[in-house]
Amino acid sequence: MAILKLLLSYLSIHPSPLRNPSTTLHLSQQAPAFLSSSESTKDTQETWLIYEQLLLSCLRTGDDNSARLCLQRLSDRFGVDSARVKALTGLYDEATSNSRGELESVLQRYQDILKEDPTNMPIEKRRISLLLSLGRTEDAIKALTSLLSHSPNDAESWAHLSSLYFTQGLYQQSIFCLEEVLLILPNAYNIFARIGEVTYISASTGGNSTNQTEAFEEAIKYFARSVELSEWYLRGWYGLKLITRKLIQGKPSDGTLGKMESLNQLATEKLVQIVSKFRRNEKGWMGFDESEVLAAKDLIDQDEQKFAR
Amino acid sequence: MASKALISLSTLLLIHSCYSAHEHSLLTPASTSNALPLDIVIETILSVLLLCLGIVLGNKEELKPISWSVWSGMLEREKGCGQFGYLEERVGFLDIRVKRAEFAKWVKGAEEGSS
Repeated sequence: MAILKLLLSYLSIHPSPLRNPSTTLHLSQQAPAFLSSSESTKDTQETWLIYEQLLLSCLRTGDDNSARLCLQRLSDRFGVDSARVKALTGLYDEATSNSRGELESVLQRYQDILKEDPTNMPIEKRRISLLLSLGRTEDAIKALTSLLSHSPNDAESWAHLSSLYFTQGLYQQSIFCLEEVLLILPNAYNIFARIGEVTYISASTGGNSTNQTEAFEEAIKYFARSVELSEWYLRGWYGLKLITRKLIQGKPSDGTLGKMESLNQLATEKLVQIVSKFRRNEKGWMGFDESEVLAAKDLIDQDEQKFAR
Repeated sequence: MASKALISLSTLLLIHSCYSAHEHSLLTPASTSNALPLDIVIETILSVLLLCLGIVLGNKEELKPISWSVWSGMLEREKGCGQFGYLEERVGFLDIRVKRAEFAKWVKGAEEGSS
């Protein structure tokens, strides 16, 4: 009973173990023990969920032997023709291939699968990310738009397309895709904050100052919505503070100054609270990303210096 | 434990009240008024209330906050990943080779021993 429970509780505390290397390492180190334990033969939903997570973690840490064993058992259980297993097999092949030629052959295999079954979503997604990985961004965007034209309610794909457009500097398109995500998931506060970020970035890189002020005000609305939906969303508060500070510095002539100042103050209070609780290792406040907390601290410190001067 | 006792007791009461009601309907002649006696009614209502109470008390899972923003804020600060974190992680589009290189770099910074 022990290790299965251990892994499940670990996954419930760290829902996305791939995000930082230490949690991935921890998970993949448990893999050999789990695979050789008697619990690994249980046929429950949780077991297979753990198999998938372990496979991804092991592939990332380079523990290919455990990864192969996980994949073997998954394909024994669900069959090699299952779409999900096929995608995982492809992932394994991508991870273990050493040369560009091998990757091209994996890509060819994806294309063959898609020729037989053009709506195999997991494989289509693999093909798109492999195209990206090979540096063929334009092809990847084209493939992704065609995926979205046959399944427009896949939020993950919209979010990915948005990030691709963003890397190409196409901010308007990027925002459009994020708005599509919001149509599917109206409560996705991180997407609201992301729209705020993209609006802010696109306004900072170009455009004249009146347009810029307008765009900043637009971004504030998105950040405000994101913290309205999640009261401790660090990135939302950070963006809110950053932009209101900029607008206050620009000394707006109309009546918005007071509003900006109160928003700025509120965001500062929240950020100070987050930073101090995180630094004191308070229970229930340890989920934040360390670099994000540091950035928030920098932002607060900048303000204090300005007042001290 | 208390909740289990409560559930079994109230279930027994409920079954008993149903049985009584059934017997009552069989034994009273059709011509007289067919209303249920008061004691059966009281027993039924009481047993259902107790059953509800027992089920609620027996809940072992932590209750979630009612307000969405409080709940998602709690997920953010405790786990660093809300219910929409997958939109940023996007496992379906995972670029495993980049992730592997990133990890190798991280290990080089810390210590060897994960291969």
